[in-house]
Amino acid sequence: MCLAVPGKILSISTEDPVMPMARVSFGGIVKEVNLAYVPTAKIGEYVIVHVGFALSTLDEAEAGRVFKYLESMGELAELEEPSA
Amino acid sequence: MSQTITIDPVSRIEGHAKITIELDEQKQVRDAHFHITQFRGFEKFCEGRPFTEMPSLMARICGICPVSHLVASAKACDAIMAVRIPETAAKLRRIMNLAQHIQSHALSFFHLSSPDLLLGMDSDPATRNIFGVMQAHPHLALDGIKLRKFGQQIIEWLGGKRIHPAWIVPGGVNEPLTEERRDQILAEIPGAMQIILRTLEWFKEASVKYTDEIRHFANFNTMFFGLVDEGGGLEMYDGVIRIVDAQGNVVADRLDPANYQDFIGEAVEPYSYLKSPYYKNVGYPEGIYRVGPLARLNIASHIGTPLAHKEWEEFRGPNKRVILSSFHYHLARLIEILYGIEMIEKLLNEPDILSDRVRAVAGPNSLEGIGVSEAPRGTLMHHYRIDKHGLITWANLIIATGHNNLAMNKGVLQVAKAYLKGTQPTEGMLNRVEAVIRCYDPCLSCSTHAVGHMPLVLQVRSHDGEILGETARK
Repeated sequence: MCLAVPGKILSISTEDPVMPMARVSFGGIVKEVNLAYVPTAKIGEYVIVHVGFALSTLDEAEAGRVFKYLESMGELAELEEPSA
Repeated sequence: MSQTITIDPVSRIEGHAKITIELDEQKQVRDAHFHITQFRGFEKFCEGRPFTEMPSLMARICGICPVSHLVASAKACDAIMAVRIPETAAKLRRIMNLAQHIQSHALSFFHLSSPDLLLGMDSDPATRNIFGVMQAHPHLALDGIKLRKFGQQIIEWLGGKRIHPAWIVPGGVNEPLTEERRDQILAEIPGAMQIILRTLEWFKEASVKYTDEIRHFANFNTMFFGLVDEGGGLEMYDGVIRIVDAQGNVVADRLDPANYQDFIGEAVEPYSYLKSPYYKNVGYPEGIYRVGPLARLNIASHIGTPLAHKEWEEFRGPNKRVILSSFHYHLARLIEILYGIEMIEKLLNEPDILSDRVRAVAGPNSLEGIGVSEAPRGTLMHHYRIDKHGLITWANLIIATGHNNLAMNKGVLQVAKAYLKGTQPTEGMLNRVEAVIRCYDPCLSCSTHAVGHMPLVLQVRSHDGEILGETARK
């Protein structure tokens, strides 16, 4: 099971109108993300990203709900460290 | 030694999937491992929650394929309620599930894989991405965007604007389809159809260039596993489990998915968090099988829509042979997109599709429920147990990427044997390893990395564990 972590859009570059790119922050780590699939996404909104492509947008309330789940999972996460 | 660590979502954003290739004393490739750090505490997290919350919870946590988790989870809840959901509700769920397949396959084919396919495996990595495709073949990149939008639009129209539609619910769906919505979707069908037909034509022609990759890309004997309908046809939503071997013999048929624990074992390997499911009757690790688009086309005896059936006949050839190279996951995805479009049209034209009987209501009537459906990447299983108040006491999930775990490892090994020269992995080699993994389109927890590229670290180790070479995708 993988986790889908929402990232917040910091800025959008529309140099190439068909392939707009955004700088997206995941808890402070900033990534370049392609917005071709979510052309209406705005600065301040949250996106779910798969291999560099934003799949969908979330508003702040919805993203907050996801973060709450992730947080409570983090508290529960007691995992065995796999050896390499 | 075990150690307690906390999974911090942020560290996963930076995380890399790791691949190690082990050499023997003669410096020949002996073994290869693909290490994935999936989140394993998920099942624990579900405990104590009302079962009715599960579908929307699952869809939220896994936003990569929310609809697939909604479907499997809702089916497990139907089983807990011990209801048979109304026919129309099942058809509407089917439509949404197919739309999910279309949008996911479109992303995988057009935007993650097409740079390799169009620009070449050894081309400059700086331009071997969607931007390179956009420059060289702009129509193709646009077709991908339109096709994904077609699938996504259907999901939004059915479920409302929200990304996590609470439309699929235990017992059915929570709102009937309106005539207006139906016609809206039907109006989009011809455009989507044109795109997939021209893409199929182009890709079949272009595949001739990849004979080398076809030979070495996880081209080996495994079993194939997935759902088929009652008549053995391609099935995405319901049905029974069929397993075929590499020669096309049916190893097991008409297995009830609810009995999965009788025929699937789940091995845990020290190198990965991801469990490795295997077919119990054959044992571990020989009970290796593949799931997903290639598996579905290999286990099916036919496809229930005319155009996709014709493509499927061509794909399997006159002797209906089993297709072994994972490179063909790509073509299988295109055929499934065609099937999805045809099937959505067929379902929308059925007379009862606008019926307002779309939900069965009941409390918990069974203490256990299992829901199985086909997600874009393969068979997805949700299994819950509840107490008498309807609170989850135990949950088990088997996801498609898990089913393919053994096969992905074997695929990496095969590519390493074919393309690793000496001890220093090259960029072209790393890209082929990445490409072979990408055939399976795994959902990785750390999938927020650079456009189209998986975050990978590849290490070559000697027989006594010394690191001889390393290369990383920045």
